Amino acid sequence: MTEVCNRTFDSSLLSGFVDGELTQADAQQVRVHLEQCPQCRGLVTDLQQIREAAMSTPFPAPTDEEWQEQPRSSASLWSRRVGWLLVLVWLAAASGLAIQGFLENTSAWYGKALAVTLVGGGLLLFLSVLFDRLKALRTDRYRGVKK
Amino acid sequence: MAATARLDLETLADPELVSLAQQGDPEARELLARRYRTPAFRLAMQLVGRPEVAKDVAQDSMLRFFSSLGRFQAERPVLPWLFCIVHNRVRDLERKRRRQRVESLDSYLADSGYEPVSAQPDPETKAQRRQLQQLIWRALNLLSASHREILVLRDYQDLSYAEIAAVLGIPKGTVMSRLHAARCSLRKRLQASGEDVPMLEETSRSSP
Repeated sequence: MTEVCNRTFDSSLLSGFVDGELTQADAQQVRVHLEQCPQCRGLVTDLQQIREAAMSTPFPAPTDEEWQEQPRSSASLWSRRVGWLLVLVWLAAASGLAIQGFLENTSAWYGKALAVTLVGGGLLLFLSVLFDRLKALRTDRYRGVKK
Repeated sequence: MAATARLDLETLADPELVSLAQQGDPEARELLARRYRTPAFRLAMQLVGRPEVAKDVAQDSMLRFFSSLGRFQAERPVLPWLFCIVHNRVRDLERKRRRQRVESLDSYLADSGYEPVSAQPDPETKAQRRQLQQLIWRALNLLSASHREILVLRDYQDLSYAEIAAVLGIPKGTVMSRLHAARCSLRKRLQASGEDVPMLEETSRSSP
């Protein structure tokens, strides 16, 4: 392995050669070089072996019976969304009322402090998730490609 | 009558099947699902490396595939579009957390009840190939996500450079250089694995 490779083209052409994705002129250039360079010849052979081994690797998939995906209709998706929304509204209202009742019945300062911490904490968590989502939405480079 | 109609459907090419499914034909949808969930699963498995996660990804991708069917031009090939959806799902997943991939292909094959179709005439070559496949899989797990995905699309899925560019949303000119970098890095990992890698030039030459 002492010979020095005197290749004049970009090495990625070797991959293009393995994949048959080169123009005729480029392929010819690579072929001529391979004849005199054992180093690149070794690389090309290895890449071919890796490719053949990868392509012939078996990946058994679940059988037809094992799939549960039934295309969900948009009606069921919407009813699910509205259902969640109603449950969330109920939860918010119920906890609001509970906290109000708690505050009215407790005059001690620590009672008020507890309520404020709970509401404040919940609000902060919600805001942090919201900001993360908004940021992800703005910086997602795949949004144009999606679907 | 229904049987003949179903038989006719089976022989339909994708564009006709897609446009029938777009009109809401449930049998056409079912047939499309059966035709494409296995490719979706295989790609997901190669990208995420765990069969149970791959199944979730594939099922979710098929749902998205059907919910976006209305926006798809029926005459375009289905596979790159589906692969784009699968790839996006995997990206979403990896953004959330890094998942451990299964180390051993053999345990996955045993769990799935897979049995080789037929014995090859040369068992030694077969065993060597098996070992190489296992080593490549393990090295693949150590690569960066961008190197892994381009290797999977080319060497496991046999997509053309143009199709890879479409799935990854990168210029076609970038495919060859990124792929070559990924392959060289995989080969380096194989050589550095310290194991006797069968069938490879450099490693077999340098090993005693």
